[in-house]
Amino acid sequence: MTTLTAVWAIAWANLVRLFRDRSNLFFVVIFPIVLIAVFGLSFGSGFQPPLGVADADGGPQAARLVRALEQAGHRVVRVGSAEEARDGVERGRLAGALVIPAGYERALRGYVPLTLPYLGRNEPDALQLGAAVRAAVTRVTMPARAAAYARDGSFDELVARAEAAPAPGVTVAASTVGTATALAGMTGYDVAATSQLLLFMFLTSMNGATALIESRQLGVSRRMYATPVTSRGILLGEAAGRVGVALLQGLIIMAGSALLFGVRWGDPAGAVALLLAFALVGGGAGMLLGAAARTGQQATALGLLLALGLAAIGGAMVPLDFFSATLRRLAHLTPHAWALDGFAELLRRDGTLADVLPQLGVLAAYAAAFFALGAWRLRKALTAGP
Amino acid sequence: MRAILLLMAKDLRERVRDRSLFLLALVVPFGLAAVFSLVFKDVDTQAAPTFALADQDHGQIATAFAEQALRPLERRGVIRLRAAAGEREARAAVERRDADAAYVIPPGFSAAVTSGRPATIQVIGNAEAQIGSFVARSIADAFASEVRYVQVALAVKGSGTMEQAAAVPEPVTVEDLAAERRQLSVSEGFAAGMAVFFLFFTVQFGFSSILDERREGTLARLLAAPVPRAAIAVAKLLNGFVVGVAATAVLLVAAAPLLGARWGHPLGVGLLVVAGTLAATGVMAMVATVATTAERAANLQSIVAVLFGVLGGVFVPIQQLGGVFGALSLVTPHRWFLQGLADLHGEHAPVVAAVPTLALLAFGAVTTGVALLRSGRMVRP
Repeated sequence: MTTLTAVWAIAWANLVRLFRDRSNLFFVVIFPIVLIAVFGLSFGSGFQPPLGVADADGGPQAARLVRALEQAGHRVVRVGSAEEARDGVERGRLAGALVIPAGYERALRGYVPLTLPYLGRNEPDALQLGAAVRAAVTRVTMPARAAAYARDGSFDELVARAEAAPAPGVTVAASTVGTATALAGMTGYDVAATSQLLLFMFLTSMNGATALIESRQLGVSRRMYATPVTSRGILLGEAAGRVGVALLQGLIIMAGSALLFGVRWGDPAGAVALLLAFALVGGGAGMLLGAAARTGQQATALGLLLALGLAAIGGAMVPLDFFSATLRRLAHLTPHAWALDGFAELLRRDGTLADVLPQLGVLAAYAAAFFALGAWRLRKALTAGP
Repeated sequence: MRAILLLMAKDLRERVRDRSLFLLALVVPFGLAAVFSLVFKDVDTQAAPTFALADQDHGQIATAFAEQALRPLERRGVIRLRAAAGEREARAAVERRDADAAYVIPPGFSAAVTSGRPATIQVIGNAEAQIGSFVARSIADAFASEVRYVQVALAVKGSGTMEQAAAVPEPVTVEDLAAERRQLSVSEGFAAGMAVFFLFFTVQFGFSSILDERREGTLARLLAAPVPRAAIAVAKLLNGFVVGVAATAVLLVAAAPLLGARWGHPLGVGLLVVAGTLAATGVMAMVATVATTAERAANLQSIVAVLFGVLGGVFVPIQQLGGVFGALSLVTPHRWFLQGLADLHGEHAPVVAAVPTLALLAFGAVTTGVALLRSGRMVRP
C-alpha cells in the first residue's frame, strides 16, 4: 500500500464521515447558493446602491433633476419625506438620499441660490454615490446658471437657449498606468467579491481543525499512525477531502455568480489556480491548528481569531488601497494579501495565469510550510504519552 | 438550582484548565479589537491622495484649473499636490506610487478652450490606488463641467468675460448633512459586525459540550446522578451565555479606546448585548440538537453562523439589496443587534434600543425553548 493510496483512503473515510450527516450535505449545497445570490446582487454588473430622493417640491425642474439621476444609471428610490429619507439611510436601506426642498422651482426661476441636503451612509461606495449625485446636480442646473448670468429674457427661453448652445467643453481622458484600461468602468471595490470569497473559504477551512481533533480524540489517528503511513500522509489525507470540498464550494460560487450575475473574477485559468492555491493554504492552516490545539473549543477560538484577524490585516475586509505603506507591508505577511494581489492582477490589468505565478508561488510556499509544520506537530501529538 | 450551579462551575473549571475560557472570553476578542484598530482606524480618516500636475500649457485656463480646482482642496488638506515637468515625469511618479494620480495638461490647452475648440485634460491613475484615481477624476470632471458652463453662458449672453460668467454662483449646491446621527462609523460598524459574528461562535462553547461529554462517557455518569436532565441542558446553556456576554463586553469595551468607538448609553448597550447573547445561545443550541457528534455540531453551527452573518449584513450591506434579502435579514439576530447599536448612536439617541432588544429577546425565547424541548435527544448516554 503506497502512501498515495493511504492518503486517498483517509480522505475517502473523512468524506464519508462528513457526508453521512445529511444536514452537512444540505449546507454544502445551500451555502454556495446563498453566497452566489448575495455576491451576485452586491458585486454583479447589475448592482447600483439605492439612492433615495425626497421631492418635496414636485415642480417640473425637480422632476427633471430626478429624471437626470435615473438616466445617469442610479437606482432612484422615491421616498415621501426628508424624515423618511433620513430613516432609510440610517437603517441602511438607502446608500444615500437627496432631499429636494419645497420652493426648489421658485428659487431656480427667481435666481436665488439654494442648497439640497444630502445624506450618505458611512460606507465606501456611498462616497462615490455622493460625488456622482453632485456631478449630476451641477450638470442639470447648468442651463439655469447660464440663465442667471444672461438675465436678458424669460427663464424658460434662456434655459432653452443654453441647452441649444454649442459647448465643446473639456474632455477628461482617463487612463491607468501599465494598461490601457479606462478608469471609467472601474470602482475601488472590484475586488470585493474576491476578498469576501477568500474570507469565507479560510473561515470554513479552519473547521477542518475540529475534524482532525475529533480523529485524534477517537483514536483514529493513533491507529493510522500504527500502520506504515507517515504523519505527513495522515495529515494530507485528513486535509485532502476538506480542501476538495472548500475548493468545490469556491468554484461553484465563482462560476455561479459570474454566469448568473456577471460578477467579474478575471481570467478563468488564473482565478481557478489562485483559488486552488488558497484552498491549499486554508487546508494547511486548518490542519496545523488541528494538530496544535488540544481541544475542539481551543481550535474554534483560535481558528476564529486567525480567520477574522488575517482577513482584516490581509485586506479582505477593507481594500488594501486604503492601507498605509507600512500596513501594506504588514498585510503581505498574510496569504490573503497575496491572493488578493493575484486577483487584482487578473481584474485590473487583465492578467493571465502567467502574470499571477509570483503570487501562486508565495501561496504554495505558505501551504507547504503549514503542512510541514502540521505534520511535525501531529507526529509529536501522536507519539507523546496520552 | 444547586445542581445547575454545580454543573456550571464544573464546566467552567474544565475550560479554565484547558485555557479555552481564557482564549474565548479574553484573548480572542481583545486580539480582534486590536487587529481591527490597526486596520480600520484610518478608514474613517482617509489619507489625502497625492496628485502630480504636469502643466505644459501655462495658459489662463490651465492656471485656473490649478488655482481654482486644485489649490483650494490642497489648502483644505483633501489632496496633496506636486509639480511634474512633463507627461513622462508625471507618469513615472504614478508608476512609482509617489503620486496616486497625475494630471497632464497638453500645450495649447487654454487656446483651444478660449477659441471653442475641443480640449483634453489627461488623468493618469495608478491601478492600485483606485480611490485616489477616482477622486482625481471627479475633480477633473467638475472642472470640465465648469468650463462647459462658461462657454454656454457666454454663448447665451453673447457678451461678457469668462471671469464674469464664472462669478455667478451655482444655483443649486449639494451639502452633506452632519454625520451626527443614528449610524455607526465604518470602523464601529466593522467592530460591531465582527462582535456579533464572533458571539455566535463563542456561545457554542456551552451547549455543544454535551456532545463532548457523551463521547467521553461522562454524560452517562451525570445521568446516573440524581440530577434532572433539564438541569444539565440549562447549565450548559447558561455557560455559553456567560462566556458570550463576557467576550462581547471585552470586544466592545476594548474597541472604545482602540478604535475611538462610541457605543451609546451603557445601559442600553448592556441590555442589547444580553439580549443578543440570549438569541445567539438559543439559535446555536437549536442547531446543535440536530447533530449527533461534536464535530458535526461544530460544522453545522459554523455554517449557520456564517450564513446568518452574511444575511444579517455583517459582511455586505445586505439591506440595500432590498426585496427577499431585505426581508431575510430581519430573521437574523445579527441585523437586529447592529440596528440596536446604530439606534443607540449619536447625540439624541435613546437610553435603550427597545425594538431591537425585544426582537432579540423573542429570538432567544423561541430558539431556547425549541432547543430545550429537543435536548432530550442529546442528553442521553
